[in-house]
Amino acid sequence: MFDDRSPIYRQIAERIKADVLSGTLRGDEQVMSTNQYAAFYRINPATAAKAFQQLVDEGVLYKKRGIGMFVSPEAPEVLRAGRRERFFTDVVDPMVAEARAIGIPLGEVIGRIEELEGR
Amino acid sequence: MRFPSRLLAANMVFALLLWGVLLAGVALVAAGVAVFGTLTESTWEKGVQLARWYALFVGVALVREYLPMYVAHGVTRRQFGAQAAVTATLFAPFLAVLVAVGYLLEAGAYGLAGLSQTLDRAHLFAEPTHVPLVLAEYLIELAAWLVAGSVIGAAFYRWDGGGLLAVPVGVGLVVLAESAIGTELRLPFVSRLALGLDVPQSPAVTAGLGLAAFLFGLALTWLVIRDVPLRNRPA
Amino acid sequence: MRIDVRDLVLRYGETTALDGLTFTLESGKIYGLLGRNGSGKSSLTSVLAAFRRQTSGEALVDGRPVFENADLTRRIGLVRDEGEAITIGTVEDALYFAEGLRPNWDAGYARSLLETFGIPPKANVKAMSKGQRSALGVVVGLASRTPLTMFDEAHLGMDVPSRQAFHDALLADYMAHPRTFVLASHLIEEAAPLFEEVLIIDRGRLVVQEDAGTLLSRGVSVTGPVARVDAFTAGLTVLGARDLGPTRSAMVYGDLDDTRRREAAEAGLELGPVAMQELFVHLTGGPR
Repeated sequence: MFDDRSPIYRQIAERIKADVLSGTLRGDEQVMSTNQYAAFYRINPATAAKAFQQLVDEGVLYKKRGIGMFVSPEAPEVLRAGRRERFFTDVVDPMVAEARAIGIPLGEVIGRIEELEGR
Repeated sequence: MRFPSRLLAANMVFALLLWGVLLAGVALVAAGVAVFGTLTESTWEKGVQLARWYALFVGVALVREYLPMYVAHGVTRRQFGAQAAVTATLFAPFLAVLVAVGYLLEAGAYGLAGLSQTLDRAHLFAEPTHVPLVLAEYLIELAAWLVAGSVIGAAFYRWDGGGLLAVPVGVGLVVLAESAIGTELRLPFVSRLALGLDVPQSPAVTAGLGLAAFLFGLALTWLVIRDVPLRNRPA
Repeated sequence: MRIDVRDLVLRYGETTALDGLTFTLESGKIYGLLGRNGSGKSSLTSVLAAFRRQTSGEALVDGRPVFENADLTRRIGLVRDEGEAITIGTVEDALYFAEGLRPNWDAGYARSLLETFGIPPKANVKAMSKGQRSALGVVVGLASRTPLTMFDEAHLGMDVPSRQAFHDALLADYMAHPRTFVLASHLIEEAAPLFEEVLIIDRGRLVVQEDAGTLLSRGVSVTGPVARVDAFTAGLTVLGARDLGPTRSAMVYGDLDDTRRREAAEAGLELGPVAMQELFVHLTGGPR
């Protein structure tokens, strides 16, 4: 993620992903319609539809013709896999860079991680 | 219930209101004169002179108020022109009928009170109860004032100050109609100068000239509004 | 309704308001029409609504010239600040005429919108506040349910809650009764999320016609040390730049692919979004 190309549209996708990961939205559960999202966020329905389309492409949602959008049963696993893939670049690397920038020896960071693991 | 034209309906309702107000006003004045002096003449004849100014006003409003609203609601100028022409064609006789009814009401009241309903000015009709002639005279007069108003209103709407040039045209229409009525009281010299002749008194000539003034006014209005742009500043 | 405009020119005497516009609008979208004062927005909507005839060129709706075409104009609505569609007697009078003249008029919807905006039905239109008149224009514009509905600065004088109510109503009714909307507005940031597509015109010419999301994604701010920003943006369309000491933030317009984005990250440059309003300002030539 280099930029924030379309804040609202990404916000919708991220919110749905977060709900899936947290279990608020379960597999095969129907999500709110694009129109409901559009009305709630006060945005053009086409913008909301794009967020949904992206989630379909990513395998998080699937479409039932004439009924609506549903959460893929494998969505939580797909999302977790994606996050695992990006974990080191998105979380660890910036953390290390930050530690270096403010002068925390990496040894201390590792120590902290081991300490947390012990709990 | 749907009127053939909302334009007509709206104007008729308003005209009825004004007519009621005018009747009440005229009755008050007549009563006042009767109580404090002697009432020998028709009061309605005087009061009803306001009608032509009202007709002029309606003609102006047709173009200045209603045309922009109709066009803004997706009506073409052609459709509006046709509706406005129908409105004028039905509205002028409607006003003439109101005038005639006023004369009849006055005749009744005067009759009850034993007063004489003498006319002050020359008319097509000798008695205020000669309904067909009363209708004819006021129809011709009010129709002419109405289209004079629409021509002048259209010209001002389209050309702002340039609309002043339409005022003589409007006056011409009125003069033509007055000469058709042939009362020769209000604008005798002008009418003779303008037409260069004494209009002979005949029902056909009267009707023909009255109709000509009306149609000419409608045609002129159409020429001005047929492709008029809506103003960018409120009129 | 589909709109095709070709080489459209409109002159007022010596002034050229529309200077050869050409574009096509498809049916069923919400279009944002953006332009500065005097850019020709109002002239354009006036021609499209047959309020006035163009000097030359074509203004076609569903493939046919719109001026004096009753079959088209009855399905086209334009609400603008001049208020010709509503300035007649009382609010009820205005609705009475609208109902008579608009084939798809929804009287019940109009009533409920009056309540939404708190407009008293007996009020005299000319005596109402500017905001209330604007709101009444919105009521008439929406309840007419015209397949092509245009609002030219419909929000003038409306306060923030009223504008939100307007946007909510517009979206809800658009979704319930899909049709083509053209919204000309100065409050770009507020209205931008409603647009599916954006047209920017300047001095009577078309500057940009673009999907709203694409337009936004094309605007990228590049921030970092002056020299590195300049090196990165060389060869790109730079709309403008602002400096803060040794740091420069340049606004770039164009597609940056992932390779370019990675390059930027590697050069320690920060890429960020650009608001539609900023894009608008720079695409129309900055202050003047």
